[in-house]
Amino acid sequence: MRLAAFAMKRKQWEPFAFASPSLVLIGLIIVFPLAYSFWLSLHDFDLSVGPDYNFVGAKNYIEAVFRDPRFLGSVWNTAVIIAPSLVAELLLGLGLALLLSRVARGRPIITALLAIPAMVSPVMAAMAWRMMFGVKFGAINNLGRQLGLIDLYFDWFGSTGMAILTVVLVETWHNTPFMMLVLLAGIQSIPQELYDAAKADGATPWQGFWSITLPLLKFTMAVGVMIRLIDLTKLFGLIFVLTYGGPGSSTETVAFTTYLAGFKDFRMSYAAALSYVIVGGVLVLTLLFMWIQRLREARA
Amino acid sequence: MAIERGTPRGTPVGWAPPVPRGANSTGRPRVASRRVNRYRAQRVVADVLTYFGLLVALLFFLGPFFWILTTSLKGNEDFFAFPPVWIPADPSLAHYVALFTRSSGARYFTNSLVISTLSMFAALVVSLPTAYAIARWRFGGGFLSTFLLVLRMLPAIALIIPIYIMYKMFGMTNSYLGLVVVYTVLYVPFAVWLLVGFLREFPVEIEEAAMIDGCSRLRALVQVIVPIIAPGMAVVALFAFIATWNEFLFAVVLTGIETKTMMVLVTSFTSGGTDMFYGEASASVVLGVLPAFAVAFVLQRYLVKGLALGGTKG
Repeated sequence: MRLAAFAMKRKQWEPFAFASPSLVLIGLIIVFPLAYSFWLSLHDFDLSVGPDYNFVGAKNYIEAVFRDPRFLGSVWNTAVIIAPSLVAELLLGLGLALLLSRVARGRPIITALLAIPAMVSPVMAAMAWRMMFGVKFGAINNLGRQLGLIDLYFDWFGSTGMAILTVVLVETWHNTPFMMLVLLAGIQSIPQELYDAAKADGATPWQGFWSITLPLLKFTMAVGVMIRLIDLTKLFGLIFVLTYGGPGSSTETVAFTTYLAGFKDFRMSYAAALSYVIVGGVLVLTLLFMWIQRLREARA
Repeated sequence: MAIERGTPRGTPVGWAPPVPRGANSTGRPRVASRRVNRYRAQRVVADVLTYFGLLVALLFFLGPFFWILTTSLKGNEDFFAFPPVWIPADPSLAHYVALFTRSSGARYFTNSLVISTLSMFAALVVSLPTAYAIARWRFGGGFLSTFLLVLRMLPAIALIIPIYIMYKMFGMTNSYLGLVVVYTVLYVPFAVWLLVGFLREFPVEIEEAAMIDGCSRLRALVQVIVPIIAPGMAVVALFAFIATWNEFLFAVVLTGIETKTMMVLVTSFTSGGTDMFYGEASASVVLGVLPAFAVAFVLQRYLVKGLALGGTKG
């Protein structure tokens, strides 16, 4: 009897014991800092002024959302970078996935080679491309001159439009492989019988693509785009190395502006408020993502 | 989950050859064979275009790496040469030597290795029991898994400000420990997620047999389950290694002169505008992307799963 009672008890505390190490750590390093950050965002803690702080309520939030042209500009910049990047990544990724799905020989090795950019750090990707775009020693200007396409060295980061374009290019280079892998997995899970049946009914390959591949790939594409969208809101390392937000503040993303507010201006409370505005945005996107996933599971 | 497929693995999806030569069922041999010929010609053209497209893609996606590698092996005079030197005539490791001595690259490379290795092991040790609790007892129900997903989506920028202030208070900036703790915790959601998958596939009977023989649950986990799911754990570990190796935001804020990682070292070369120290900068990029290359080949099969869950994003 005693043994049975002990077993019951053991059963109750064991799951907690097993889960506790990571839960305690998550509490200490994620949950508590988030709460502390929220508390911070309601004060005016500014390390460039001093260690004193007062309660200011929602002042920081009001400043961020209504009165800070730099932050609002960075929201716009982030959107301007995200939109073309997502389109390019989706289209290129889909194209590559379709090509790869046709390949019978050497698919694993080609896929692995194409996937490498997605594995490297954004910082390293940006550094490599920053050197490629280098004015005097960069591969692109040199190639252009050698082929006679440009006469003079061209400054790729000189104007707002070009700077954004280069950021989009590097981001596309960096993360198209991710989209390719996701879509390739999606394409491979479409049963071959569907194509065979369509063929027997006299459908052309083009019709097969439009009426079988695309409809069945819809949710995979949505999931891939959502993951990229959420990750793109955190764009930081790439900007830090490639443009450092320049020229002016034309390529500053929300994460980068928050970093500058916190670690260049040392306005800790204000940066905390900015980060909470970002978290709010990401939370909305995450809920959207989970809704899409549920929708997909319901269909599957 | 697995979808029964009518064709063997590796068969191109889309438009397989319709009718094998000489084996048509239409009963109209001449027309069919003409059609077969047309299909074969179309297929050859399509195959050529496919491989050509992939070749262009490979050039675009791997070209920068090739250029960085050759640049890191060039002599200084090659940078100024026109027409440009694409492949150095006499490659030298001078820039790597300069990186390791003049820019203390050896120290920062070691920092990256130590921090990534420690975080990798710590993340595994912390995540495994939690994953076990979720897989065997459905601990936390749907709430915990949703919570972990939300954590994965959480922007790091929201954590860096409070953590920086906390670390300043406790004097934990500029230390291995501080960075390893953050990386471990950031990686737990991902590691738990993957490990739960491996553990669910593990037959309960084996560990129950071990426990009937007098093994405690923890011992069963460590001595019976771990050796069997070791390949899966290796996958998680390698992704953890890459993620911490690649992480930048926490590294740039929390490290000081002694604890910088490779990612932070690389940014120090940008101070010269777009025409910086090309030699050392390119050498550091080569070293910085090395693990990614290694892991991409080892983990081919797991790339989708790992990348989709944010395996390489710290």
